[in-house]
Amino acid sequence: MRLNPIVKKDVRVQSRSMKICFGVFAYVLILALAFFLAMFVIEENNVYSSENIYSQLVWLYPILAVTQLIILGVIVPVRTASSISGEKERQTFDIMMTTGMTPFSVILGKVMTAIVQSMLFIAASLPIMALSFVVGGMSWGYLFWFFAIALLVSFFSASIGIFCSSLCKRSVSAVIMSYGFYILFFLVTAVPAILYGIYSVNLLYANGVASSRYSYGENAYLPLMLNPAVYLIEFFTEIMTGESLVNEIADLGVIANVRGPIRLVTTGHRWMIVSTVLFLAVSFLFLWIAARRIDPVRKRVKKRA
Amino acid sequence: MLQIDHLCKNYGKFQAVSDLTLHVPQGDLFGFVGPNGAGKTTTIRMVCGLMLPTAGNIMINGVDALTNRKEIKKQIGYVPDFFGVYDNLKVKEYMDFYGSMYRMNSREIERISDDLLELVNLSDKKEVFVDTLSRGMKQRLCVARALLHNPALLVLDEPNSGLDPRARVEMKELLLNLKSMGKTIVISSHILAELSEMCSSIGIMDHGHLVAAGRIEDVMESVFGNDQLIITLDGGRETAVRIASEYAGVKVNSVGEHEIRLSHTMTKPQIAKMIGNMIEHDVVVTGFHKQEGSLETLFMRVTEGDAGTGSDAVTEGDAVAEGDVSLKGEKENAAESNC
Repeated sequence: MRLNPIVKKDVRVQSRSMKICFGVFAYVLILALAFFLAMFVIEENNVYSSENIYSQLVWLYPILAVTQLIILGVIVPVRTASSISGEKERQTFDIMMTTGMTPFSVILGKVMTAIVQSMLFIAASLPIMALSFVVGGMSWGYLFWFFAIALLVSFFSASIGIFCSSLCKRSVSAVIMSYGFYILFFLVTAVPAILYGIYSVNLLYANGVASSRYSYGENAYLPLMLNPAVYLIEFFTEIMTGESLVNEIADLGVIANVRGPIRLVTTGHRWMIVSTVLFLAVSFLFLWIAARRIDPVRKRVKKRA
Repeated sequence: MLQIDHLCKNYGKFQAVSDLTLHVPQGDLFGFVGPNGAGKTTTIRMVCGLMLPTAGNIMINGVDALTNRKEIKKQIGYVPDFFGVYDNLKVKEYMDFYGSMYRMNSREIERISDDLLELVNLSDKKEVFVDTLSRGMKQRLCVARALLHNPALLVLDEPNSGLDPRARVEMKELLLNLKSMGKTIVISSHILAELSEMCSSIGIMDHGHLVAAGRIEDVMESVFGNDQLIITLDGGRETAVRIASEYAGVKVNSVGEHEIRLSHTMTKPQIAKMIGNMIEHDVVVTGFHKQEGSLETLFMRVTEGDAGTGSDAVTEGDAVAEGDVSLKGEKENAAESNC
């Protein structure tokens, strides 16, 4: 398989820069601090508890994993948001567009670079991460799941970053825009569920009992499938307990819909599967739009075709 | 090689390029000249597929540049006016990066890069970081990069801007070298003296219009005419003016202390006869020559906006082939525009 030239070049250029060394150092440092903080909290809690400390140390895994995913979620958009606009600022973009590379392969190259960089950070964090396996008694299979989720988070964050980079001429505006987009993603996907939740609670207070009637309004929970926070909570609940939090909540009577799409996805592990597919689809959509945005003669080709 | 037909580019109501029709034959070194904002860079960017034309067609080597972009990218090597380089990348890695973008394999890239770096006189800089090169070297490296995939057409936008005199000379020599190898080159520049030394044909743009195009000598002749004569004297000025005025088709344009300037429709033997007549009447003729125009004068003349109109040299056809000159005034162009 042929390696994307952009990945090869970017990785080579980055590896010669001191920035990457400082980046890895800062990443591992934050993780180590998170580890020590978690250990401190666990130990403090254990002073007043008769429970075995080792039963609590398993929580080191989600704490360290979530810390890493948050860091990745913060740094990946910065890396990719400045990729296309950075090429424009450096005045190398035009030359790139006259070469044999298609706009999509340029975009993909930039995303791959961001993912490779994420993997480098994750690899650098392995010694600290390993502590959660040693002292927490976790199996190595969890590490695979962590890698999988880190890849997805990196890919999703990178696609948002690159999308914003294709919209902006300046890297700074692209970075700000991608964070704005991120926040928007958290809010927009949660708002319908929050509104419907408030409505349901009001109804509960009015009737004194939860309605078990079929309601299309419950589908307002569906956008939560694209909410990164809900996704991570569900993922780690399933990993740590083997149960689905969404199923539990649905079974508590929050979702009374017995036939609609909402019931379909809240059964078994479907929520995670569908949610993963949706995140991948949205990421590809962002990449496709970004590729269209950077293509200088896209309209003409379409018109002529 | 390069055929542009009725090319237009509008930004809202502003016409950056208006009804541009041009032909650059195979192996030609074509110079694009024009004042700032004339539309040269816009035209070049449209040719290179970096900008969408509002109307018109561009054919490169018989391929439609606007629909067969994949094929066109193989045909074009582009050197922009301003370009950056990547930090922490060596010259040979720079070449490798762009070579792999054309899907060339490593061995092929290495072989061609070696030849090209030798051509641009950068063989000894292979292991040097690109960002440490001088501007002239970077410019030559960019030319080498543009030639990696052996394009049929090399397009350079203001390659000499910001270069010192030595770097300019080196760039000129490089382009002449490429021309002698049979490469078709389109170059835009402000440095007219260099263009006149390098280019076989030129196109002069002004306010988005191509006001003159063709072989340099043909464009010169069409603008200045072949009928300007300067006679230098050292006495007998009045007699010389009187004798010149007696000849049919001769008009005395100006009389100086030691020279008179004529426009005429005479043949060479008739001119010789007139000069002989002056000498017979004791006019001290120290010399005579045809008035020569420089590219600078030509440029100034045609970009004034009054040159092409009314000139006998204006041709109806659009094609600029050998010996064929297209010279148009702005108004004429505006009337024909299909933008």
